[in-house]
Amino acid sequence: MDLQQYIELVFTDYTLRTITLGTAVLGAICGMLGSFAVLRKQSLLGDAISHAALPGIAIAFIIIGTKNSSAFLLGALISGLIGTFWIRGITSKTHLKSDTALGLILSLFFGFGMLLLTYIQKMPNANQAGLESYLFGQAATLLESDVWLMVITTGVSLIILLLFWKELKLLLFDADYTKTLGFNIKFLDILITTFIVIAIVLGLQTVGVVLMSAMLLAPAAAARQWTNNLSVMVILAAIFGALSGVIGTAISASHNNLSTGPVIVLVAGVFVLFSFIFSPGRGLLFREIRFRKNRNDLQLHKTLSFMYNIASTHEDISHPHAIKILNNFQGFTRKSLQKLEDQDYVKIQGNMWSMTKSGYHTAANLYDQLIKEENE
Amino acid sequence: MEDKIAVQIDDLTVAYNYKPVLWDIDLSIPEGVLMAIVGPNGAGKSTLIKSILDIINPIAGSVKIYGKPYKKQRSLVAYVPQKGSVDWDFPTTSLDVVMMGTYGSLGWIKRPGQKEKKASLEALEKVGMLAFKNRQISQLSGGQQQRIFLARALVQNAAIYFMDEPFQGVDATTEKAIINILKELRKAGKTVIVVHHDLQTVPEYFDWVTFLNVKKIATGPVKDIFNDDNLTKTYGINYKVSVQQ
Amino acid sequence: MSNAQIEIQLIASLVAIACAIPGTFLVLRKMALITDAISHSILPGIVIGFFITHDLSSPLLIILAAASGVITVVLVEFIQKTGLVKEDTAIGLVFPALFSIGIILISQNANDVHLDIDAVLLGELAFAPFDRLIFNELDLGPKSLWIIGTILLITVGLLFAFFKELKVSTFDAGLASALGLSPVVMHYGLMTVSSITTVGAFDAVGAILVIALMIAPAATAYLLTNDLKKMLVLAVLFGVGSAITGYWVAHGLDSSISGSMTTVLGLLFLTVYLFAPSKGLFSVLYRQKQQRIEVSLLTFLLHLGNHEEDETERHVKHLNEHINWQKVKSKSVLDLALKNNMILIDNDIVSLTEKGQHFTTEAIDYIVTNKNSEIENMKDRFFLFRG
Repeated sequence: MDLQQYIELVFTDYTLRTITLGTAVLGAICGMLGSFAVLRKQSLLGDAISHAALPGIAIAFIIIGTKNSSAFLLGALISGLIGTFWIRGITSKTHLKSDTALGLILSLFFGFGMLLLTYIQKMPNANQAGLESYLFGQAATLLESDVWLMVITTGVSLIILLLFWKELKLLLFDADYTKTLGFNIKFLDILITTFIVIAIVLGLQTVGVVLMSAMLLAPAAAARQWTNNLSVMVILAAIFGALSGVIGTAISASHNNLSTGPVIVLVAGVFVLFSFIFSPGRGLLFREIRFRKNRNDLQLHKTLSFMYNIASTHEDISHPHAIKILNNFQGFTRKSLQKLEDQDYVKIQGNMWSMTKSGYHTAANLYDQLIKEENE
Repeated sequence: MEDKIAVQIDDLTVAYNYKPVLWDIDLSIPEGVLMAIVGPNGAGKSTLIKSILDIINPIAGSVKIYGKPYKKQRSLVAYVPQKGSVDWDFPTTSLDVVMMGTYGSLGWIKRPGQKEKKASLEALEKVGMLAFKNRQISQLSGGQQQRIFLARALVQNAAIYFMDEPFQGVDATTEKAIINILKELRKAGKTVIVVHHDLQTVPEYFDWVTFLNVKKIATGPVKDIFNDDNLTKTYGINYKVSVQQ
Repeated sequence: MSNAQIEIQLIASLVAIACAIPGTFLVLRKMALITDAISHSILPGIVIGFFITHDLSSPLLIILAAASGVITVVLVEFIQKTGLVKEDTAIGLVFPALFSIGIILISQNANDVHLDIDAVLLGELAFAPFDRLIFNELDLGPKSLWIIGTILLITVGLLFAFFKELKVSTFDAGLASALGLSPVVMHYGLMTVSSITTVGAFDAVGAILVIALMIAPAATAYLLTNDLKKMLVLAVLFGVGSAITGYWVAHGLDSSISGSMTTVLGLLFLTVYLFAPSKGLFSVLYRQKQQRIEVSLLTFLLHLGNHEEDETERHVKHLNEHINWQKVKSKSVLDLALKNNMILIDNDIVSLTEKGQHFTTEAIDYIVTNKNSEIENMKDRFFLFRG
């Protein structure tokens, strides 16, 4: 199936259209709210919450006895929130640290959820539960009503973010200061945490419990590398998330036996990897280039100041000296001499070099500059 | 000038996890002083400021800003937290951080507009950082970050300024620039309260001082009370900072 | 009890012990979440190992899987060092990616691989007794018993050999390097053991429940003691206890063994979290309430001491005004002070008794010299009644 056929299919095939739309919207909301989770240093909270949601889904099924997405979502939301606040309770009231608290809630809630799931499997109406899809996610089970729910939730959280943008930004950056300005930080905190939990719960059916945290983190972590502006970061994260959803769905739909969730996560992972390496400001590649350039500059400067020392022994600074005497100096090469000439710091005539005025001046300033940079 | 009381603290006691940090502090800070709070590590200097600003709840005592509780007088107060208390890798620019100073007067939901931007740019200029307005905050030096924080407080256009260790980890130029701005503020009749570490510079920078070590040891004009006796009482050991200046 | 039942319980108990030992150190080193990462990211290692050996309990598979666990740790630490993202984000990025690769490998080769994805998450302890180690037609017992037994033996051996080093490097990395013990070696040693244990336990209890067995017993024990040896012993006991109880719960409910083991662990943790003698929620809340009133009392006495000459500062009404206390609180503080013979009330003017003065002077002394622990001692000596 080539790309054109696939695109046609997205517009004509009902199921594929629903799934593509669903994963795109999901990616967008996760990227948006994930940015806040990442900046609040709550990256792994998403992992804990998605696992903690499982017993809620199972209990919802036990109570109503049939498959019903909205009831499952409500159950997941409640048990996700209980998990979140229990984590806070553990870290604030005992000496256990946040990593232990997260790991505890994650595994204990999940284990309890598994107990309930195996119990449900023995129930007569078990086969209609479709609960297994919540473990690894099954985008194929998305219905149009699910997608509508996602769209509405995304809309609501977008409005909330726009309304409280200024306050949330302030809270993320400097919570104490936010309080002194008279904003209710408890309210803001509960607001943003609740929306993060909602985003996670929404994604469970599509990407599953285990991989949900990546859906939340990866677009935000990638977006952070490209910008130093919070609003741009949130928008970029939403775009990366949506793209991961669409591309991931396309890849998994055009191959056999490829579940959507893991593919979406890997696509998002590729975005992260690409950003880590190639982003212009922070990326590893550019950092390495800058590092090399600095090292070369340093060597050039060393050579220059060595020449400066020789030249300054002479009354006439432009007095020519033999290139030979530079040979003993470490870091000196023909290439670096050429560079110095290109920058008009020295003049070369045959086997002799002489310093120009600008070269002499630069060399004299080098020392001062170095001191200044250290002070900055 | 010193007849009006800017900050009145009565019987203030604060405990972290019910470990006492500040005990029964009574303190009146007159309007228009430039005051240093000095004391050893763990003396509760930051805690004192934080409980005045209602960031920490005291277990006893009361704080009045111009005769009324802090909650009613927020607009009169500006705060410069310790530089290390925030995440400097946060994706935002210098100008953005300074604009945060206007958020308090804007209140909920309302966005800053041209007026706020203009005020922020002026504050940036005052601290000599206008050229860095679009710089990401992690790319600033320690001294520059501190100036941004100071500009944010200036934008609040308050009557009382609280600063937590503004000279920590900054270069000599910035230290001079900051102290000049503080002195200007005092000239304009503002009250400035600074948690300070470097005892040597107290007589040069400040006109009022409070010695603190869990309890209040002494408070008053620098020329009257900044002496070896109070220093020894505060720091425990036989402290000799010569006060010949 | 049938033979198979005994074998299952034995395997479960050994898994619990093998997990509890490294788990204790991970919890103490604030690295509990690295188990989360390892347990997920060994999946591609297991799948690839399975392609090669076609045997889930082959040693090669275990080595490959453990290697991918260690690679995860290295990868996470590398990303952290670049400073591009915050610490925990690195963990959250690495393991889902590796886990996804594992799942895709499985689903792509579904026809050749008899690896059930559910079993990856859950494990299947009930089937463990059927896969037996047969040597010269001699039945030596279930294979998993041998695997986990070997891992446990190595773990215990390493624990005894390096107990001192582990202890020092856990509590004070600086001191450890000063003593010439390399914290880096300890760190990667612990990571390797954790990876191997996770792989060994994976087969029996699945990826996510390994995390529970590592963290929960250690965390529960940590709420009861601060002593490393006691903590290890308690963690092992809790692990084994929940393993056996969990088995019988699963037997009764006819449900997943590993799921019910975790649930028992969860209930155990909940109980200890709520009721532990000095660190449990209730005793913390009670102590905070008690301390709140006692600190108020100290504040009040100190205030009286400060204002001996000024009667208005010592008037009962002053409590409400300056000290800013509500009526109820002022009353309970006054009552406590009276009961302890610290104060006298004469005409609504409060003054310190001799005992009160004595107490106040000592209290100031301790507080100013920052010896806060002494306060507890003083309270014991001076207080007839606690708050």
